[in-house]
Amino acid sequence: MRYLLYRLRRLAIVLGVVTFITFLLVNVLPGDVAYQMAGMDSSEEEVQAIRDELGLGRPVLVRYAEWVGGVFTGDWGKSFISDENVWDAITDRFPVSFELMILAQFLALAMAIPAGIASAFRPNGRADRIIGGLAFASVSMPSFMTAILLIFVFALGLGWLPATGYEPLSSGLWANLRPMILPALSLALVEWTILMRTLRVEMIAVLQENYIALARAKGMSNLRILLVHALRPSSFSMITLLGLQVARLLGGTIIIEQIFGIPGVGRLLIHAVYTRDFIVIQGCVTFFALAFVTANFLVDIAYAWLDPRIRTGGAHG
Amino acid sequence: MAEIVLDVRNQKTSFVTGRGMLAAVDGVSFTLERGKTLGVVGESGSGKSVLSRSIMRLLPGNALVPADSRVVLNGKDLTRLDEGALRRLRGPEMAIVFQDPMTSLNPVLTIGKQIMEVLTFHLGMPKRAARVRAVELLKAVGLPQPDVRVDQYPHQLSGGMRQRVAIAIAIACDPDLLIADEPTTALDVTVQAEILDLLQRMVRERNMAMILITHDMGVVAGRCDEVAVMYAGRIVEQAPVRDLFRNTRMPYTAALLSSIPRVTDPPHRRLDAIEGRPPDLINPPPGCPFAPRCKLADAACDAGVPPLEGPGRHRYACIRPLGQEAAA
Repeated sequence: MRYLLYRLRRLAIVLGVVTFITFLLVNVLPGDVAYQMAGMDSSEEEVQAIRDELGLGRPVLVRYAEWVGGVFTGDWGKSFISDENVWDAITDRFPVSFELMILAQFLALAMAIPAGIASAFRPNGRADRIIGGLAFASVSMPSFMTAILLIFVFALGLGWLPATGYEPLSSGLWANLRPMILPALSLALVEWTILMRTLRVEMIAVLQENYIALARAKGMSNLRILLVHALRPSSFSMITLLGLQVARLLGGTIIIEQIFGIPGVGRLLIHAVYTRDFIVIQGCVTFFALAFVTANFLVDIAYAWLDPRIRTGGAHG
Repeated sequence: MAEIVLDVRNQKTSFVTGRGMLAAVDGVSFTLERGKTLGVVGESGSGKSVLSRSIMRLLPGNALVPADSRVVLNGKDLTRLDEGALRRLRGPEMAIVFQDPMTSLNPVLTIGKQIMEVLTFHLGMPKRAARVRAVELLKAVGLPQPDVRVDQYPHQLSGGMRQRVAIAIAIACDPDLLIADEPTTALDVTVQAEILDLLQRMVRERNMAMILITHDMGVVAGRCDEVAVMYAGRIVEQAPVRDLFRNTRMPYTAALLSSIPRVTDPPHRRLDAIEGRPPDLINPPPGCPFAPRCKLADAACDAGVPPLEGPGRHRYACIRPLGQEAAA
């Protein structure tokens, strides 16, 4: 319980710092939302009139405080451009981004775990060297390049999967997943390498442990030793990274959503940045920070599942 | 004639190192009968643990065993078996208890699970029956509240209790050969005797053969039938336990015995530590490996490695044995 309070306090600090800095940055940038609202051919007076109407002339701190007050009362503001409620705009689009991220992490883990185990089984063996080579090739390419390559091969070349588009879950699971595979794979092809290398290193160390020697002496098969005895004690660093990668993925989805035409939070944010629609930017950033902190909270819970010493609170040794 | 469980013939185990070949076990032969306990004594680095892993065929990838080394367990030559066949023997026919119970149990699995998997894998027991059997085993090794402990994790148990669990795992499939590799070295002195008593009782009740590896002469004295003293990868003296203590032949054995402090010694008496260090196993000396540290050695000792031989069951590898003057 105390631990939970501690986590919540940290969450509040993170959110405060992140939102305030974005608020400042958007205000420091040249050009504001009033220009966009007034249109191309408007005069300086018209722009100024909009500014006064929106209260943009007032000090940054006052406006930030107003915004924070709004968030606490459930009012995330309205987009200056589309007049859309920011909270609705984000919650409409977030599930799409969320699905993309989960799918990407799932694919990354599905590649990283078997590859990491195979590499750690015989370090510097043939499998390890082949996997290592593939991993470095795959991490050397930024996700948007991978995306283009994947579109070229699987959409244009083989025609297996669509290049762009999005289908809601209501059209059926496969219809929904199909256009998501390539975008998720573009993200996963970068992330899996880091997870795989981390798992490999930790597992090589675990395989030297006495309890692995005992498992061999008990006549257990190699597969059972790797999966039952070694995998869980080897995955702490990997799980930590999984949480930290959420930040990278949030950044990655912004570009990937653009390339594949997926209507997620990333596209909402990019559009808002172009139009200086700061109230939307603020909302997106807050949401991202919230997602990141939540993900890392889940990682802490995963530790307890992985290590009974944390769960039962017993003394070590 | 008792049934011979284990017959080790000319076991040699070397490791490829950066400096050259290291002969960790260099031509060890012995036999072990059912129900008997062989004590293997020696300093650190004398090859005791490598010998135990050579018998179990649990050697790392850089280990080399020549083709003429033989380990015959229950009539089966382990050196000729493939990995799958060996796996089926580890547990039902041979088992090992490691030195450090703090690290030899898996921290993320309950102790019940660690016992049950041996039973389900080797004996094909269904899960429920295996669990019942696991509780029985924990009870047999004297773990208090076995039905509660079975669901606990290793970190919730003390060192002595963990070693009891390790013994329960080892005896789960009723092996014919039990190797205890310094089973009490990492434990509190008060617990050491309990664990040794337990091992002795298990050997008697289950009619196993045991190899008890230790660096402590005191451990072997009351609990073994025969003792083999190892030095630099070789057995240098082997005898029934009474002979070894009463008619010590090999100066190394004598040095080991006199380096044990005795309660009857006057206070502040200096311990007779053995001077010098064990030989470099990559470039061993040409003659008796103990000669450089031996007070009785002369030029003849450097001429060649003395063979392990002697009258009856008392064998020793020494050309200047103790007690021969009196016998002559």
